[in-house]
Amino acid sequence: MKNGISILLSRIATPTRVGPRDFIIVAVLAAVAFAVPYFAGTYQQEVGFRILQLGALAAAWNIAAGYTGLVSLGSAAFFGIGVYTMAIASNAGLPIALCVVLAALVAGLFALIVSPALFRLRGLYFTVGTLALAEAMRIFVVNSPWFGGQAGIYLTARAPKAYDLYWIALLIAVFVVVCVLLLLRSRWSYRMQAVRDDEDVASQLGVRTYRTKLWAFGLSGALIAIVGSIQALNQGIVQPNGGFGMSWTIDIVSVAIIGGMGTKVGPWVGAVFIVLLGEFLIQFPEIHLAVVGVVLVLVIRFMPNGIWGTLTLALQKNRNFS
Amino acid sequence: MNSIDPVGLANTVLGGALLGGLIALSAVGLSLVLGVMKLVNLMHGQIVVLGAYAAFYLAAFWGISPLLALPIVFVLGFAFTAPVQHFILAPVAKHGEEAGLLTTFALAIILENLFIRFFSGDSRSLDTAFSRETLAIGPINLPTIYLIGFAISLTVCLAVWMLVTRTSFGRSLRASSEDPISAAIVGIHVSRVRWGTFALNGGLASMGGVLIALCFSFTPSSGSEYLLTAFAIIVLGGLGNIMGTFVGGIALGVIQSLGAYFFGDGYRTFVGLVMLIILLAIAPNGILKRRRSL
Repeated sequence: MKNGISILLSRIATPTRVGPRDFIIVAVLAAVAFAVPYFAGTYQQEVGFRILQLGALAAAWNIAAGYTGLVSLGSAAFFGIGVYTMAIASNAGLPIALCVVLAALVAGLFALIVSPALFRLRGLYFTVGTLALAEAMRIFVVNSPWFGGQAGIYLTARAPKAYDLYWIALLIAVFVVVCVLLLLRSRWSYRMQAVRDDEDVASQLGVRTYRTKLWAFGLSGALIAIVGSIQALNQGIVQPNGGFGMSWTIDIVSVAIIGGMGTKVGPWVGAVFIVLLGEFLIQFPEIHLAVVGVVLVLVIRFMPNGIWGTLTLALQKNRNFS
Repeated sequence: MNSIDPVGLANTVLGGALLGGLIALSAVGLSLVLGVMKLVNLMHGQIVVLGAYAAFYLAAFWGISPLLALPIVFVLGFAFTAPVQHFILAPVAKHGEEAGLLTTFALAIILENLFIRFFSGDSRSLDTAFSRETLAIGPINLPTIYLIGFAISLTVCLAVWMLVTRTSFGRSLRASSEDPISAAIVGIHVSRVRWGTFALNGGLASMGGVLIALCFSFTPSSGSEYLLTAFAIIVLGGLGNIMGTFVGGIALGVIQSLGAYFFGDGYRTFVGLVMLIILLAIAPNGILKRRRSL
């Protein structure tokens, strides 16, 4: 069954090519970003942290939604798993780096557990299922006796400084980008895009669709959980409505769609756009989200490939005509 | 809770059944929209909340009792959603079903934040003269409002069922959902049918919101919970099956009340969500045997 966005996406130069040039660009950008705390203030570092965080989340979501066609509205579930794993594991005295790895593992395990139910759902029903899943996780964490209920859990680890957080976020962002690039170089990405464009045909051609989807969904969830675990360090306290809140899903989806689903650069363009918009409207948080919603409606209607997708399409057209 | 007492359990089950039937009103339209437009309407929950706010402000400013306000709320919901379909959703339909879904998601974000901005984040509730009254049937006590809401919901669902099965609009609606292209060929104005269906859903969902707000307090952010509850109901009842939706509502109400009875009130919604996921996985077209009424 072909669905709309994938039809449009498949018109963009597929398969996405990744060469050594991409890695060099990432290395240069990372080096520049690494230097930021040396000449920028705390405020700039915090904005930078937010951009890196949202960009990494959207890039991770993109693996499942953009390349594999698993449009999930359950990202908050994975993010919350990361947040709570960090809180519980670091309070138990484990080193921070190990907690991050643990967060990824728990999220991967969670993807494995829920996949038999979720992957029976195709297209729109999958999306509804993931939405229900995230909401179920939130309510479960609120009510169950193990996670501190509504009040949440305080982290005993001391809060890192702004520049430390920024560098950790940068490290994770680079990790996510490298994961995406390596994935796009591998044969997995061909299978994923085949599943996205037509699951039945892919399966006829010998692609193990279930396994492909599970890897994409699990990797995407694990990366989201890693970013979530850092958010726990940032906040110092974890709460169900903060960790499992819909606002994370909203942020991720809007960043990815505004930037361009199924593109390498799109999530980062979207993250810069959303964060700067947020800083601009910082006095009016509700208006900010409403404006994001309006932008989202306009982008879906007039630029269904997002900012980056539209740009690359326009450039290609120019090249073809000239 | 030491042992299960039969009266308490009977109370729970009956109360849950009534409540579920009442909530079913908010789900009927979702099922129609899914059937006719192949659209997963993620702003459905916010329309339900909008109906609740409409009744709240009608009562606050003009002293109109929420039950008398139901027809007004229906008209408001209808009038609000009709242009949304015409100007926002219809144009993106050509981009495929995901575009429609994500657009309604964006609209849900917009509405929810406008609610917070203009109506404040406070929790609200609707009151009527008989909100605190209960009706005793033998040893069983049931809130009067549940009974009234159940009756209203049943009446409206029957009316919608009549509309869909017995009128020419209903015939066009069924044809458009079955096969839009053939429907268009035989002269049905499919886009107008979709427009009508979406606006009808808007009216029904807002009325459902009033009934829900009579029983529970609500906040600007209640939308996603209402949406998922409505989904659980239509999946239980079978997509596009109107009276099935009503029965599905009763079933969900009983299941949720039992969940709340045995695990604690916080798990009321959780039980419904877990059931929704399991049901979607094992029987996405509903467990009530589907008679194609749509």
